[in-house]
Amino acid sequence: MTLTYVLMQNLRRNPLRMGLTVIAFALPMAVFVAAISFVVALARVGAHNEAQLRLGVHHKQTLTNPLPEALRRRIEGLDPDRARLAAVCGMRWFGGRVPETQNTLTSLAADVDTFHIVYSDTDMTPEEVVAWQRDRTACVVGRNPATTYGWKLGDRVTLESTVPPYLALEFHIVKVMDNAERANFFYFRRDYLDESRKAAGFDDPRCNIFWVKCRSAAALRSLQQDIDALFAHTPDETKSEDENAFAANFTQAAGDLPGLMQAMAVVVVVVVALVAGNTMMMSIRERTRELAVFKAIGFQSSRVFTIVLGESVLLAMIGSVIGVLPTAALLYAFPVRGLSFGPISGLEVSWVAVVGSMVISLAVGLLAGIWPAMRAMRLHTTDALRRVA
Amino acid sequence: MALPLSYHWRNLLVRRTTTALTVLVIAVVVGVFVWMVSFAGAIDRTMSVASDPRKLIVLKQGATSESNSALPVDEFNKLSQIDEIARDADGRPLISPEMLLQVSLPRLRDGGRTSANVAVRGVTEAAFAVHRRIRLTGRAFSLGEREVIVGRTAAEQFGGLQIGDVVDIGYGGVRGFRVVGYFTGDGGPMESEIWGHLPALMNASNRTMYSSASLLLKEVAEPDAVINQVTGPAIQLAAMSEADYWENQSRLMQVYRFVSFLLVGIMSLAAAFSIANSMFALVAGRVHEFAMMRTIGFSSGSILTGLMIEALMLALVGGAIGCAACAVWLTAVGHTKDMFGANTFTTLAFDIRMNPAVIAKAMALMAAVGVGGALVPAIRASRLAVVSALREA
Amino acid sequence: MSSADIDVRNVHKIYHKDRIEIPVLMGLGLKIDAGQFVVLMGPSGSGKSTLLHLIGGLDAPTSGSVRVGEAQLETMSERQLTAWRSRHVGFIFQMYHLVPVLTAAQNIELPLLLFPMSSAERRQRVNTALDIVGLGDRSDHRPNQLSGGQEQRVAIARAIVTDPDVILADEPTGDLDATTSGEILDLLSLLNSDFGKTILMVTHDPRAASYGRRTVHLEKGVLQREEINANPRGAAAALAS
Repeated sequence: MTLTYVLMQNLRRNPLRMGLTVIAFALPMAVFVAAISFVVALARVGAHNEAQLRLGVHHKQTLTNPLPEALRRRIEGLDPDRARLAAVCGMRWFGGRVPETQNTLTSLAADVDTFHIVYSDTDMTPEEVVAWQRDRTACVVGRNPATTYGWKLGDRVTLESTVPPYLALEFHIVKVMDNAERANFFYFRRDYLDESRKAAGFDDPRCNIFWVKCRSAAALRSLQQDIDALFAHTPDETKSEDENAFAANFTQAAGDLPGLMQAMAVVVVVVVALVAGNTMMMSIRERTRELAVFKAIGFQSSRVFTIVLGESVLLAMIGSVIGVLPTAALLYAFPVRGLSFGPISGLEVSWVAVVGSMVISLAVGLLAGIWPAMRAMRLHTTDALRRVA
Repeated sequence: MALPLSYHWRNLLVRRTTTALTVLVIAVVVGVFVWMVSFAGAIDRTMSVASDPRKLIVLKQGATSESNSALPVDEFNKLSQIDEIARDADGRPLISPEMLLQVSLPRLRDGGRTSANVAVRGVTEAAFAVHRRIRLTGRAFSLGEREVIVGRTAAEQFGGLQIGDVVDIGYGGVRGFRVVGYFTGDGGPMESEIWGHLPALMNASNRTMYSSASLLLKEVAEPDAVINQVTGPAIQLAAMSEADYWENQSRLMQVYRFVSFLLVGIMSLAAAFSIANSMFALVAGRVHEFAMMRTIGFSSGSILTGLMIEALMLALVGGAIGCAACAVWLTAVGHTKDMFGANTFTTLAFDIRMNPAVIAKAMALMAAVGVGGALVPAIRASRLAVVSALREA
Repeated sequence: MSSADIDVRNVHKIYHKDRIEIPVLMGLGLKIDAGQFVVLMGPSGSGKSTLLHLIGGLDAPTSGSVRVGEAQLETMSERQLTAWRSRHVGFIFQMYHLVPVLTAAQNIELPLLLFPMSSAERRQRVNTALDIVGLGDRSDHRPNQLSGGQEQRVAIARAIVTDPDVILADEPTGDLDATTSGEILDLLSLLNSDFGKTILMVTHDPRAASYGRRTVHLEKGVLQREEINANPRGAAAALAS
């Protein structure tokens, strides 16, 4: 027998109370691990974007005002040695809808020569790049729409644009992108778009945004200043943002789910701390005499403190395990893939989230246990042992 | 026989710590719930205003929202064929041609850290007749001038929209539009917009086509019949009621709502278990007392009721604190939120306010949670066999 | 086998409750030789338990000196008192105060966790204690499966498992019927006669008092009188007769 054993047995004193507490602790922790998984996924996307060093240049007033494609050359002209930027890719919004559905894909027409450089995270092999450059109708598809509509490499697919002039174009899939960050995207060639538009009577090659692949974070910042300065006070006044800042505008507006998740995580921690604290206080109150006997036997006050604190931590960990593991298992078995809106493309549980949840529970156990432990420690032994009158 | 409320109150006070902690759990859950319900209420209010049954929105076929619809003028003109459209005093049909632009403005609530796409609507005088709930507060823009009026919610939530400010709208050449007045729309979606004179805006943005048209039908008109006429071979445009249009756009909000209520639901369940826990503890030490009361003559039903009253007191106090905390949060941290329409690419701004309906819902929730949680311990306590309880000295 | 003598001199103990001073012991003196079985009696509230607590180092006197064996208690800090107590004192209470979630054997083992010893050694000591109190067959029962008398035996076993010098018993038979009381008192007497433990027992019961060699009466905060019992009851007497 060890003190840990005594601790565990103490928790079994009142099984009903333990059961209720564990449930009241586990439910919020289930919410917590889901929310934290979300936040972790978000952080991952953020880190990825930061590493990609892409700078988005769009019209200052609004993204929907397209910029002349000639701006690309002027941006490139800022750095002829390519010391700060590696390449510039102009993109135009297509807003293609899958026929017979209401679903509009995040579909963009990109410059054929620089797309795979600026979007190096599409991981296109040299063969795939050749295919992209050889076929006018080439397109690169994210794994979410591919899964949803059953598209495979080599398929021909059609999208109907939801922006004027509402062209319906056919594409040939030369790559399906595997990674999570590009999961919801659909890219094709801007020269194909411009030709089609011209054929429909709209000869006006423009870009909604230019993505600049920078060589370093410092280069990104300096280019950001220089580009906006270059076009200030012109009809094509620009606003340059790094990818995370750009995305943040949408995140805020698309329901601010990250904000919701973060708020929920905080609420959970508060609630479980209260739940655990409540149970521990109730438990201590009932055991004043027993704890006094521990001291009478010769257990130091600090030891009694540790025992009570240990019970609180154990309680928290049990509740946490019961809440976190099933939720993690559920998310592992059924990850939410195919989120077509919002900042992340899917929700999977990550080990970081699970471990993080356990650590937080540990902290909550400690926090909730401190006051009961101090009360137990400060117990006046002789008062507590006073005979039942 | 019923016991005085002060008896129940005192019982709760005796177990100060348990009571306090339980009350706090309830308060937190209720506080979050109130926020969610207020937000949902704000969405509902906005959408309900945007559902004038006599209004139709006409778009280019294939467009999913006004933002990506390009309506050529000649096709627009065909709309005057429709008889069912209401007429103004001079007999002209109430058709409002409109063109949508966007402008990126800083959000006031995060100090301008992020920007929102705010809708700019080019309108003619017809708009004020068709959109019946729009009311000017102050000047209107002068016809042909580069002036705009700003919806109340937009002015409150986004930067640079005060009277006298110049907003950069449009494209190429001189673009500034001066804010000269505000308008309200009974809290509907148009209050998140900026309105200017259609020709001036078309000029500034080099556009030759409208985005959409809004029609006001006669009272006797059948909206579906008119929709058929618009989509039919003569006109070949898309039309839907204003209510349907906005319902489509609110898809994202519904998802957010679902997720948030799911989370709060789970937390409420946890709160119920917490209350059950506390109630068991509150009951445990009073076994004698209940037995005594039974011998005096109180029925087991009255003990049950008494315990329920105590649970309700806990829940009420917790609920009140939660509501108060939410109110403080909304005032101190901010009560505005904006969300994209599903396809509009512009943002709808919401003003989150607590109102009696919200508070009533919150109180109902925590009463349910309190009663639900306390039911089992209370029933157990009331059913105790008197004699054995008395013997447990 | 160890035992210690007890020397209490001029001890005052005043309680402070809500700004009111309640004097309980007022200049009390008491000497107990090592290996003596002393009974402490007196009216309710006379301070019997208080004296017991002072001798056990559970509380400190307001003034005066308390020596138990080689330890001068009033000079020791709480930490020191607690450590000393674990080695030298065994407490027995009226209400047994066993840990309900542990078995009898585990309850007895509890004080041993304070010392560095292997679990095998602990088990051996527990078994010895169980044998002495006569509960070998009930060792894995929980307190709620034991009768009052059995619970008190467990408590006694717990009190002796660390081989203390002094055993302090506060109304050990207060909750037991006559027969069981007798058994418990026999056991205490055995600990005194066979193992030489110094025992100080507080009691109301005159019959219990007859087990001690010496009875002291506590009244108005000091010892009023004292009786010597030439023939104390108990195991030794039973054997002798």
